[in-house]
Amino acid sequence: MTKQDFRIVGKSVKRADVIEKVTGEGKYTGDYHLPGLLHGKIKRAEIAHARITRIDVSKALAYPGVKAVLTHHDVPKVLHYGSPHPRSASCTKDQYILEDKVRFWGEGVAAVAAVSEEIADEALDLIEVDYEPLPAVYDIDAAQAPGAPQIHEVGPGGNLVIPPVHIERGDVEKGFAEADLILEGEFEGGRPVPTYMEPNVCVADWDGSNKLTFWTSTQTSFMVRGALAEVLGLPLNKVRVLVDHMGGGFGAKQDLFQHEFLCALLARKCRRPVKMEFTRRETFIAGRSRHPFRMWLKQGFRKDGTLVARDMKVIYESGAYGSHSPGVTNVGTASATSLYRCENVRLDGRAVYTNTPIAGAYRGYGVVQTYFAIDIQMDEAAEKLGIDPAEMRLRNAVREGDIAPSGHPIVGRGLEACISHGIEAFGWQAKRGADRGVAGRPSVRRGWGIGCEMHGSSAYPGIKEQGNATVKMNEDGSVTLLTGAAGLGTGAHTALAQIVAEELGVTFESVHVVHGDTDVVPWDIGAFASHTTYLVGSAARMAAAELRERVLARGAEKLQEKVENLEMVDGIITARDKPGTSLTVHEAMGPSRGIPAEHLIASGSYMPTKSYSFAAHFVEVEVDTETGIIECRTVVPVHDVGKVIHPIAAQGQIEGGIQQGIGHTLTENYVIDRTNGRSLNAGLVDYKMPLSMDMPDIRTIILEAAPDPGGPWGAKGVGEDPIIAIGPAIANAVYDAIGVRFHHYPITPEDVLNGLRARKKELQDAGI
Amino acid sequence: MRRFEYHEPRNLEEVSDLLTTLGNGAFILAGGTDLLVEIRERLRDVKHLVDIKRVPGLSGVDYADETGLRFGAMVTAGQLEAAPGLAARYPNLHGALKVLASIQVRNRATVIGNICRASPSADTIPPLIADGAAIETWRPGGGRVIPLADFFTGPGRSVLTPGEIATAITVPPPAPGSRRAYIKHGRRKAMELATVGVAVSLDTEGGTCTGARIALGAVGPVVLRAPRAEAILVGSRLDAAAVSAAAEQAMQECTPISNVRSSAEYRREMVGVLTRRAVSQAMEVAA
Repeated sequence: MTKQDFRIVGKSVKRADVIEKVTGEGKYTGDYHLPGLLHGKIKRAEIAHARITRIDVSKALAYPGVKAVLTHHDVPKVLHYGSPHPRSASCTKDQYILEDKVRFWGEGVAAVAAVSEEIADEALDLIEVDYEPLPAVYDIDAAQAPGAPQIHEVGPGGNLVIPPVHIERGDVEKGFAEADLILEGEFEGGRPVPTYMEPNVCVADWDGSNKLTFWTSTQTSFMVRGALAEVLGLPLNKVRVLVDHMGGGFGAKQDLFQHEFLCALLARKCRRPVKMEFTRRETFIAGRSRHPFRMWLKQGFRKDGTLVARDMKVIYESGAYGSHSPGVTNVGTASATSLYRCENVRLDGRAVYTNTPIAGAYRGYGVVQTYFAIDIQMDEAAEKLGIDPAEMRLRNAVREGDIAPSGHPIVGRGLEACISHGIEAFGWQAKRGADRGVAGRPSVRRGWGIGCEMHGSSAYPGIKEQGNATVKMNEDGSVTLLTGAAGLGTGAHTALAQIVAEELGVTFESVHVVHGDTDVVPWDIGAFASHTTYLVGSAARMAAAELRERVLARGAEKLQEKVENLEMVDGIITARDKPGTSLTVHEAMGPSRGIPAEHLIASGSYMPTKSYSFAAHFVEVEVDTETGIIECRTVVPVHDVGKVIHPIAAQGQIEGGIQQGIGHTLTENYVIDRTNGRSLNAGLVDYKMPLSMDMPDIRTIILEAAPDPGGPWGAKGVGEDPIIAIGPAIANAVYDAIGVRFHHYPITPEDVLNGLRARKKELQDAGI
Repeated sequence: MRRFEYHEPRNLEEVSDLLTTLGNGAFILAGGTDLLVEIRERLRDVKHLVDIKRVPGLSGVDYADETGLRFGAMVTAGQLEAAPGLAARYPNLHGALKVLASIQVRNRATVIGNICRASPSADTIPPLIADGAAIETWRPGGGRVIPLADFFTGPGRSVLTPGEIATAITVPPPAPGSRRAYIKHGRRKAMELATVGVAVSLDTEGGTCTGARIALGAVGPVVLRAPRAEAILVGSRLDAAAVSAAAEQAMQECTPISNVRSSAEYRREMVGVLTRRAVSQAMEVAA
C-alpha cells in the first residue's frame, strides 16, 4: 500500500474515548462502588530496617467499624516477585506479602478493612508494633561497603539483586590503544518518580464459587492475574482482572504491589468487597521510582571523532526489593553497546539493594541513565577535538546493519535522519555562533545543546513477547476488536482501532474496542516497552486481514462476483470493473434469501523481535547566573517512529516525555534521608514536577525515515523515546551557556551557583 | 481523610464561643485550600472545623485616600488581586497575589487565611509587613488592632489568643513617591512555595530615599524585617553602591534553615540577589 492510499492510518482521528473522558463518564477503578464495599488501609513501618518482635492488633480489631486486620501471621507465605513477567528470565523472587521483617521506611506491616476509609485509617494508629532495629544502608556506596548489612537472604549476596551483567564486544584495550583522546568521567542521577494522576487503586470481590474478581489500575492485567493466582493458590480461571480507564502508569504500574495481595486477602477474609486506594503520599513511599544510579564511563576517540572504545560500569539502586532491577540492569547495560557505534565495548551493570523505597519500571527503563552519561561525554569529546557537537554525533550515529543492543541489525538510518533534520530545523549552526548574552538581562546566559537516543519497541530479547487480537464482525457490519492491551491514557486503543479499520476496509467509527477483562480478551503481556502499537497493532492487522478475506467471500456470494474482483472501502464492497455493483458490509453480513446472517471472528497472534526508534533533541536554555535557575526555553524534538498511526497522539507522547524529562533534569528528585531512610518530600508540594507554565516552546518533528518491517505498515514505538534525549540535551546546553559541566541530575540552582564559583576559581588559578 | 465535626456559626460570638469551648482541635475554615490538604495529609490533627463563611461582615474590599486599604477575612486572593487600583497603589502586594499558588486556588483561598497560617514562606506577608499593615481582631470584650510585624511568634504561631478571630486587614495609603516590589524565588512559575520572598516598600523624595521597609520571607521562623539594611537605604539616592550594601546587610540579617527545598547558604545568597532586584524593580515601576 502506498502512502496516499491510507484512509485512516496516519490521520488524527477523534479518539474513541474522548467524550467519556471529557464528560467524566469514563470509569476508572476508583469509580467502582459495590454493595457492602469495605475500605482497606495499610499500616506502614516508621523504621527502615528491623525485625518485628511483637505486633498486637487487638485494639484495632475491637475498634467499631473494623472488619479485619491482617499481619504476617495471617497471610500465605509465598516468596514472590514484584515484576511478574512469566516469559522473562529476569524476575527475582525476593518478597512476601507480609513478613516479620521491614526493609524500608514505609513498608506495609499490617492491613485493615473497615466500613469507611476514615475508620480504617484511624484503626492503623491502634496497631502496636515493636521493632528490633537492624543496621541499614541508604545508598549504593554503603550497600557495597565491606561488611555492609545484608538486606536479603536470597540473591547472589553483597546486596546484589542479580549477578553482574557483563557484555563485551571487540577488544577494548586495543581500541584505547588506537585512540587519540581518552575521556573518563563519573555520573549520577537522582530518584524521579512517575507522578501519574491516578494513584494506585484496586477493588477485590470474591463470589460463592471462590472466584476472585479484581479491578485494578495496572498496565499488566494478565501479569496481575498470574501472580495473584500463584500466591493465592488459585487456577488462572478463578482470577478475573479488570481495568477500564487508567490515569497513567509510565511503567510503574507493571509491578505486583503489596496492597493488591492484601486487598484480595482482606476481601476473602471479610466475604465482602474491599477497595484500597493510595494517597498521593503512598504513591511515593509504596510506588516505584526510577533507579538512582552511579556510572563510570571511559571512552576513546580518534582525531576525526570516531569512537573506538567504550568501558562502562553502571550501578542501579534497586531500593528494598528487586522489582524490575533485573530488566533495568540488562536493558540499561546493553543500551551502551549502541547509540553511537563502537566496535570495542566492555560493560558492567549491577543493581544493589538498599533500605530505601523500591525502584521499578519507569519510561526509559535503565536507558535514561546510561544515555545521559554517554551523550554528555560525547559533547566533551567534540569540544576537545574541535568538532561541532551535532557533526560529532552524525559521524558516530548508529546506522543500517550495525548490531543493536538486542543483537539484531539496525534497520535504516533513523538516527542520522533525526540529527540532520534537526540541524536544519533548529538553525543549529547559526544559533551556536550567536551571542550567549541576552540584551537587557546582564545576569542571563543562553546556550544550545543536543542529545540523542534510541529505544526498542518491545522488550525482546529480555522477554519473548506475544501480541494477540481478536476481531469480530457482527451481523450488521459493525466491528469489535478484543485486545488485552491496557489503555494507560496514551490513545493506544484508538491506534489499534485505526489499524483494524484500515486493514479491514471499514470506517474508524464502526470499530469498537473491548479491553481490560482477562476473562474475555485474548492474553496480553501488558502495555509497556513502547510496544502496544507495534506488537498488538501487528496482531490486530493480521486478524483484520483474515476477517477481510472472509467478509469479501461472503460479499462475492451475495453479489455473484469473483472474490478477487471485489474491494472493500469504508464498509462498502464494490466490484472493481462494474460501477453500481456494490453492497454495504451490513448487507453482506445480514440475511438474504437462502443465506442466513453471519457473525465472523478472526484472531491474530504475533511474536515480534525488536525494532528501534530514534530521536535527536535540540534545546535552548537560559541560565540566570545570579540565581542559578535554568529555564528550558525551546525544544525541537526530531523523532523517527516509522509509520505514524495517529500524529497528534504521537506528538502528545513526545511532549509529555519532554515534560517529565525536564523534571528529571532540573527539579524532580524524591529525597530519602540518608541517616534514617525517611522520605523527605513524599508529596507534590516538595517533589517539583514542571507544570504547564514551566513548559518550553516545543516544535515536534516526526519523521518516517526508517520504518520497521515488524510493525504495522512500518510503525515503531514512541512511548519511552521522548524522555531520554532531553536530559543530556539540557545539560549540554547549560554547558554551552555558562561553561560548567554537570554529570548529574537534577541540576539544581544551587549546583549552578557552586559550579560557576568553582569555574571562576579555576580560571583565576589558571591566570585567565 | 480523618473524621471531624463541622460547625457553621452565624456570628462572631458563636465563632469565638466554639473555638474557646472546643479547644485545641478546633480550627477556622475559610477558603480551606491549605487546611483541608493538611487534614488529608495528616499534618494537622483537626477535630472540629468552624466554618466562618456564614458570618456577616467579613467580606468587602475598600479603599479611601485618608485611611488606605481595608479588606475582610473572607476576601479571597483572587478578589483582592482584581480590586480596582490595587496594582497601582500596592504593586508589591499585587505582585505577591499574582504568584500565589494558581488561579484556581486564589479563587478560593482567603488572604487572611494565608496570613493566619503564619507560614514564613507565605507570599502575602512580606509585602503587607513592608507596607505597614495591621490586623483587626474580634474577641469578647473588645478586639485589637495588631501591627502585622508584631503578629507572628513562630512558624504557624501568632499572638491570637484562644477565641480571638482575625476579621480584617488595613494597609495605610501609599505616600506620593512610594516605590514597591515583591519578588518570589521558586523552582516553578505557579503552584509554588517561595524558597525566598523579598518585599520592599520605599519612600522617595526627589530621588532620595526617605523611608525603607524590607521584609524577608522564608529565611527565618517568621517573616523578618531587615532594619539595618533599611537604614543603609534611607538617605541614599538608591544608587548601585547603596543598594548592594543594603543587600549584603540583608543577607546578614536573615536566619535561614536548610531543608529539602534549599540550603541555608543558598537562601541567604538569594536574599542578597532578590533585595537588589526588588529595589530595582520598585524603581522601574515608578519610572
